[in-house]
Formats: sequence, structure tokens, C-alpha cells
Amino acid sequence: MTTLIKWKNHHIQDVEVNLLLHALNERYGYDFTGYARASLKRRLLDLMSYFELEHLTQLIPIMLYDEAVAQTVINSVSVPTSEFFRDPFVWAYLRENVIPLLASFPRINIWQAGCGFGQEAYSLSILLHEAGLAGRSHIFCTDINPEFLHEAKKGCWAIRNLNPWQNYYEKSGGTGEFADFFIEQKNSIAIRANYKQNVEFVQHNLVNDDVFKEVQFVMCRNVLLYFGEELQNHVVSLFTRSLERGGYLLLGSGENILDLKEHHPRLELLDYSLQIYRKTMGITSHV
Amino acid sequence: MYKMLVIGLSAGGMPLVKQLLTHLPNDYSLPIAIVVHLPKDHQSNFDKVLDCVTNLPVSIVHDKEPIVEGHVYIAPPSYHLLIEQNHHFSLSEDKPVKSVRPSIDVLFSSAAEVFENDLIAVILSGANSDGADGMALVKKLGGLCIVLNPAETEFNTMPNAVIKAVNVDYVVSIEEIISLLVCVDEKE
Ligand SMILES: C[S@@+](CC[C@H](N)C(=O)[O-])C[C@H]1O[C@@H](n2cnc3c(N)ncnc32)[C@H](O)[C@@H]1O
Repeated sequence: MTTLIKWKNHHIQDVEVNLLLHALNERYGYDFTGYARASLKRRLLDLMSYFELEHLTQLIPIMLYDEAVAQTVINSVSVPTSEFFRDPFVWAYLRENVIPLLASFPRINIWQAGCGFGQEAYSLSILLHEAGLAGRSHIFCTDINPEFLHEAKKGCWAIRNLNPWQNYYEKSGGTGEFADFFIEQKNSIAIRANYKQNVEFVQHNLVNDDVFKEVQFVMCRNVLLYFGEELQNHVVSLFTRSLERGGYLLLGSGENILDLKEHHPRLELLDYSLQIYRKTMGITSHV
Repeated sequence: MYKMLVIGLSAGGMPLVKQLLTHLPNDYSLPIAIVVHLPKDHQSNFDKVLDCVTNLPVSIVHDKEPIVEGHVYIAPPSYHLLIEQNHHFSLSEDKPVKSVRPSIDVLFSSAAEVFENDLIAVILSGANSDGADGMALVKKLGGLCIVLNPAETEFNTMPNAVIKAVNVDYVVSIEEIISLLVCVDEKE
């Protein structure tokens, strides 16, 4: 007879994380098994104190039978951190280099994937308005989380954000009056209706949904961070297929595509610190 | 044989980490990951400041970057820095821990789970208690725990909090920290 081996708690917790993710996938169809594990594990273990549990696996039966609990778990997996004109140097680059080139396409379709509460979507809308392109452009914003999409559609944020976001906007080269893009309410700011016109919010899961549009620009910042390497590769391929030749892909400035040449030969890195890529013109040789 | 060195610092830690890197040999082989809390506008050139004092390559981490020997890595401002089981870094925008992001606790805990007793963790100075929980896990999983002697810095809340929470291996001066770190990396 073999004796059972003692394991350290953190290894046992890895087993618990796996079991929970499988239950969530099988019961609700949300597959987070390919997400980057270290931070995912932290977020899930935080739920233990929230639900006052001793072990993560105790959450499984509760979550299986109670959809509200499952929604709480799903919300804790995806994090909607965002700001208007976040990383102003990136927006300055878009304003000066990408938007003018997009202008050469007759119709401009943009896919903004992982939109959270919509700050980035409306930043982009402002940029297109300022470039006089709003009339022939359309921004498709997608997120896995219907609650986030609902908030993003509303387009309201706490008023205390106004100053820092205005600061970013100015640093990005914006010359308008930032406050004019919003209607000020008591404690909040609401984006004005004309910046909503060409923005559409759709539920889409990057893990298992397919390409849904041909676009000239894909913007997906700080979403791939949450994915493991295999899933990231899968999603970058999805973006590449969605892009028209010569179209752009923008990731978060702290992100990174590993082994680009090998896995994504159709993408060319334009700037590492900006994490901006372009789909090659790629005239296929066998034609 | 140790495989990874993690360092946490906050207020008052800048001159200390510069001194530390200055005195590491050019062929120092342990990869070094650093979490520092600084006011937002100061953070952006932290890598350049450190790059000036050492011949080891210094860079701000990008997500999914593989850990390379003899390289100094810095957590980017406003992101948590973590280590995955495949020895690649990862970043997250999860909420601040003890009101800071990057959090020393987050780096130390994830490094401890991956490297267990192959890890060395160092706390320098700071005015909050970030690092204490992370160091506790480093200790529990068999890593080497080093803290700057609180008498050596005016910002001693951080080293004191760690010493109070964890029975660390060394509470010593910055010179002694340097010789310990050089010593463990000496090749036969
Ligand atoms: C940190 S936010 C990024 C917000 C915005 N792109 C920015 O950078 O400012 C990450 C977003 O990715 C979404 N997300 C996570 N997993 C996803 C998936 N599988 N498919 C689509 N969106 C996902 C989350 O719901 C969250 O809103």
C-alpha cells in the first residue's frame, strides 16, 4: 500500500481553483480556465472572506444553485478598471498617426474589445468627432460582462474623475474643453448624446465567440493581461482575422505578444512601448 | 541554490536600492524583481535611475515576459506584478492591496508559491505595512527572509511591521544585506 503524500496548502488551493472553474464552465458556460492563474487565484481566494468560507471549494455548491452568487463570482473574475484617455502618450499617437490613416478608408469600423464601463469607447468617439470622422465611423464595443455593458451604455461616472481625466485629455493633445463633452449632474458626469451616436455595445466573449465584423482598427487594452499565453494567442488570432489588411491593433502599454513572428506572421509590431501593431498588406504569393 | 530575488521598498528606499544594485557584481545571476511605491509622476523614470547605477540590464516588466537570469525587473506604475508557474511575469489591474498598487504583498506571495525555498525576499524601508503578509508566505514556504534593520532608516514602519509579523532570517544593515546577497550567488 502506498501512503498518501502531504501537500502544501497552496498546491491544494490550485486544485480548488480548477474545480471551481470547471463547475462555472459546465453550469454557466463561462470558461475562465485559460486565464492567467496567479492573479485569478488571488481574486477567487478573496471570495472566501467575502462569503466567509474556509475553503474555496465550499463555494461550488452555492454557486451551482444560486445564479446571483455565480454572477458575483463572474464579476470578481473580470475587472473593469479604466479611465478616459488613460496613458495619454498612446492617445497622442492615435490622434497623430492612426486616425489620419484610418481616414483613408471609406468606412471606419472599430472593434473595442473588453470595454468595461466604456471610458475608452467614448474617448475614441471624442477623438473621431474631433477629427471630423464621426459621420462615417462606427465603434463596436464588446465585453463578456452584461452588467458592465449596461453601465457603459449609460455612460455615467463619478464627478471626482473629471479633473484627472481632463488632465489626461490635455496631455494627449486634446485642445477642447473636456467638461463640455459631459452633462454635469449632482455627483456624476454623463457623456453627451452625440458622442454615443456611433458607439454600440454588444456582449461578446473573447474565449469562445467568433469574429463578428471586418474592422480597420481593433483596440483591446488591458484585457489580454488576464489571459494565459494560449488563450492570448487564440484571441490575437481572432483580432488578426477580424482586421482588414493595413488595419491596426492596439494593446495595453504593459502588454506584449510573445513570439510574434512565429505565431502571428500577419502582424507587424510598430512600437513596443505603445504596443501598436499593423496587419501586413500581405499579397498572397500563390495568387 | 536560490533562483529568484524579490525586493520591496517605499519611502526612503530609493538610496538604499541604488546602493544595493551598485554593489552587486556584473555577473550577478539571480533575477531581481522590485516593487516600489512612489508618487505617480516620479515612477516613470525609476528604471532609468537604477539603470545608471548598475551594469545589469534594468527594465520595466511587460506582461508575460519570461524571467531571465541576471536581469533587474521593475513593477510598472499602477499594476500589480506577479509570477506564474511557468516563470513568466504577469501584470494585473486588480484593486490595490493595503491601498497600494503595485503591492509588495502580491509580488512576494506569488513568487513564494512559485519558487518556495529557492526564493530570497528583501524589505528595505517604507511608511506602511505592505510586505508583511507576503513575507509571511515566503517564510512559510521556506524562502530566505531579509529585512533592513529599522534603526537604519527614518521610514521604519515597513521593516517593523514585517519583523513583527514574521520571524525573519536576518534583520541587518544595508551593507550586510549586500554581502548576504553576493554570498548566496557565489559560484563554486
Ligand atoms: C481592465 S478592463 C479594460 C478596460 C479598457 N479596455 C481599458 O483598458 O481601459 C478589462 C475588461 O475585460 C473584460 N473581459 C474579461 N474577460 C473577457 C472575455 N473573455 N471576453 C470579453 N471581455 C472580457 C472585463 O469584463 C473587463 O471589462
